[in-house]
Amino acid sequence: MPQEQVFYFFIVLAVVIATVFVAVGWSTRQAREVHSGPAYKLRKFFFVGLSVIFLGLLAVTLPRTPYSAEISSPDRIVHVVGKQFAFALSESPISTEKEWEEGTYAAPVEVPAGTSVEFRVTSLDVNHSFGLYSPGHHLIAQTQAMPGYVNRLRVRLEEPGRYTVLCLEMCGMDHHKMRAVMDVK
Amino acid sequence: MISTMTPSGAGFRNLLQIGILLLVLASPLSAQQNITAASVLPDEGRYANRPFPNIVAQSLQRQRFQLSEIWREKPVLLTLVFTRCAGICSPFLMSLKSAVDALGGLGSEYRVVVLSFDPRDTPSDMAALAKHIGVSSNGDWIFGTSTAAEIERIAQSTGFWFRWDAERIQFDHPAMLVGVRAGRIARLLVGGEVLPVRLKEVVDELRGEFVPAYPLPGRALFRCFQYDPAVRRFKPDWGFLLLLLPGCTALFGTFWVFHSARKTPDDSPSLSP
Amino acid sequence: MEISNNPRPNDVQPTALRRMTFIWMFTMLTLFPVLLVLGFFMRALQANFMSKLQPEWFYAVLTLHGLGMVGIWYVGSMAGVSYLLGRYVRPSLAISKVAFGATLLGVVLLLACTLIGRMGVGWYFLYPLPLHSKGVWPPWATGAFLGSLAVFGVGWTLWSLDLLRAIAQRYSFSAAMAWHYLKGRSEPEVPPLVLIVTVSMVSALAGFVAAVVVLVLYVAEWLGTGFTNDALLMKNLTFFFGHVLVNITMYLGVAMVYELLPAYAQRPWKTNKVMALAWNTVLFLVMFAYLHHLYMDFAQPHWLQYLGQIASYMISVPAAVVSIFGALVLVYGSRMRWNMVSLLLCFGVMGWAIGGVAAVIDSTVAVNVRFHNTLWVPAHFHTYYLMGVVLMILGFASYLGEERGQLAERMGLTKLTVSLIVVGGYGFLLMFYYGGAHSVPRRYASYPQEVAQGAAYARLALVFISALLLGVLLYLWDTGRRCWRSFSVSS
Repeated sequence: MPQEQVFYFFIVLAVVIATVFVAVGWSTRQAREVHSGPAYKLRKFFFVGLSVIFLGLLAVTLPRTPYSAEISSPDRIVHVVGKQFAFALSESPISTEKEWEEGTYAAPVEVPAGTSVEFRVTSLDVNHSFGLYSPGHHLIAQTQAMPGYVNRLRVRLEEPGRYTVLCLEMCGMDHHKMRAVMDVK
Repeated sequence: MISTMTPSGAGFRNLLQIGILLLVLASPLSAQQNITAASVLPDEGRYANRPFPNIVAQSLQRQRFQLSEIWREKPVLLTLVFTRCAGICSPFLMSLKSAVDALGGLGSEYRVVVLSFDPRDTPSDMAALAKHIGVSSNGDWIFGTSTAAEIERIAQSTGFWFRWDAERIQFDHPAMLVGVRAGRIARLLVGGEVLPVRLKEVVDELRGEFVPAYPLPGRALFRCFQYDPAVRRFKPDWGFLLLLLPGCTALFGTFWVFHSARKTPDDSPSLSP
Repeated sequence: MEISNNPRPNDVQPTALRRMTFIWMFTMLTLFPVLLVLGFFMRALQANFMSKLQPEWFYAVLTLHGLGMVGIWYVGSMAGVSYLLGRYVRPSLAISKVAFGATLLGVVLLLACTLIGRMGVGWYFLYPLPLHSKGVWPPWATGAFLGSLAVFGVGWTLWSLDLLRAIAQRYSFSAAMAWHYLKGRSEPEVPPLVLIVTVSMVSALAGFVAAVVVLVLYVAEWLGTGFTNDALLMKNLTFFFGHVLVNITMYLGVAMVYELLPAYAQRPWKTNKVMALAWNTVLFLVMFAYLHHLYMDFAQPHWLQYLGQIASYMISVPAAVVSIFGALVLVYGSRMRWNMVSLLLCFGVMGWAIGGVAAVIDSTVAVNVRFHNTLWVPAHFHTYYLMGVVLMILGFASYLGEERGQLAERMGLTKLTVSLIVVGGYGFLLMFYYGGAHSVPRRYASYPQEVAQGAAYARLALVFISALLLGVLLYLWDTGRRCWRSFSVSS
């Protein structure tokens, strides 16, 4: 899971930073002169190194955003509307409260495994967030459900099973209960 | 039952005539159902991404062709009209032509297909319509006719409807433009005229471009950005000025403070480089 | 950076300024453990203790804890730099008192709307949630909430303007921004404190103006005029305000490190060309870094999203290369006087560095897709806040107690206190990071079955928070008595 990899990467960096700080603190046990020349050189090396790393990361990560269509033509469109405190998912558009309510009671949307889905996400009241969790309960995609806007999120659902939608933007007293499901067969 | 039959107004002399009467009476009934079902304008949300029927039509040269032969090469903008229309059809087509001319890309990025839903229309009628619009010499405007069954397939897949108005002796119908890409409905526009900005949205979608969000019509007075499909970008709106206000105010406030600060007389002189 | 053995003289400020600073510190440090306990309460709810409690209490406490913590550390950092600035310029006591009064009033309003009104909108009150209570909080609570923000805003804006005024009475704008250093000149000498406070106050003004705009737009809609706001505009303004406020709190804490640590390291830390360039760059970039809060809003133009990531990456470079590296070089091999002050300041810089790494990770759009609004978010900001600027400000408060101090420090107690705070703090944070990496959402009163492991992480976090709380109480007791003695002597 990519999140775990990022976590361990962060832990390694955090330990390195802590080690450096502890080492520097430990160095004060023996006073010594620090010459500016080597210090400036080290700083310059640090600056250049950090800049190169950042430029590299920008080059690699900036093209990989959810704003461009890696999926050029989705197989299905699923409309998602959030309202305190439930999501309605439907392959028919949901524009009214009545349609939203019906959508919350409807049978889960079902798509075949491997289907590319475009979720059209909005809200009828406050700012929610559409957080899509895989059958293994890992967050795989998300977008904001904002009143007045429709966000289009394209995802290919490879893994069969039940996907859960959790609200990821605090929206009131039952924010933690706000959910929906869809099935991939 | 397709509500495309023109009421004959014939008299009734035998069972066959009664049968005809029943058939005729059934037409407006089903047309009535059609109206109930489609009394609203076709809703893009309901039909977006659905397959578009690969119908067979007849060109102006009376040659049969399938729509897939066209959309296989280029995405298609398709509209349904009839030549005896005294209402929306001609202005709609004229606005479509204007928008196409303004936008460009015809032939290279898409082609336009204009079909009649009126079984009375012949290829000659459509040729005359093409000439009237001013596109008869343009091979990327494809005019044609088709059978009632094929037209019905289009109607079912797009929510398009048409009914005979006996009083005005005209078909009542919405004006609709469908963007079809690789056999699927990419966009569906409904309205009295085709604006270049709207057409560009459709054409961009046909090209496979993706706009990850769009605003819903609302009452918000200040938006950061107004989405301008003409340039496919969000352009600053009044709200954008509100976004710039904090930084500008801070800078102005800072300069004012430094400019107006009286230096303390009994301290060391003010420090400037 | 010049390295020499000429430390800055340890000036002690006029009595009135000291007294006002003590009052600020006392108020802030009284509220701190209360807000910590509220944090404990929230994690306890998430650990499925007190599960019979209505969930709206979680969200009300979340609001109070969030806005309270942001508020007290902002005023703590302002009070600290005001005091230290007194070495060079003359901040106004009257304005400080006005700000204090406004803060107190704002706190009262905030307590009322959260603990009585049960207003649960979170500290950044995302539009239009305050206007959609779903029957939980009454309309007066919304008014009180907006009122508290307005009161805070007025007081703190005046205070920020006053610090700029005080600096302006001695330094020209170009001097305060150290532009002459960019041209290779070091006269007039401008302390890093002055440079950083100038940068921070200009940014603060921008943040407060954004808050004013947001509040006006909110009130216009709340009054039922029929006017509806654009959710995207409100989100941009809200996050601009919030991001700037939190960042300048951080910078003010760092300014205190620049000002105080050299005396303990017995080495100077002066402004130079690179430092001037770094902080001028920060002033520019801090205006755009807030955009990383809107990555999941696809309606935001792409170029702003990319700008957000670029600005967020770039702004960490001056922090890392100039401030953090500079602090390490300052300390390395120095005749460091280790005590509560210097330990907290150094650990504060370390927390800033670690939290900064986590922040840069999350500010990558491709990563943010899977981390946004999970526990990774509170993880990273609690790191550079709790283990960063809070430690720096606690270090300053300890320093106050040391001035004219009559009580000798007990190093055993100091080490125990710092150990509890550091171990407790990082353990608590680790549970957030681990939860975020396992897709546990943030701001949940309880966890559904899909992320049920969140409850286990919360239970473990309680152990660490207990250690942290114990360390903080020890600190408060020790620093409190030393400050009291110092205050009594100076009075």
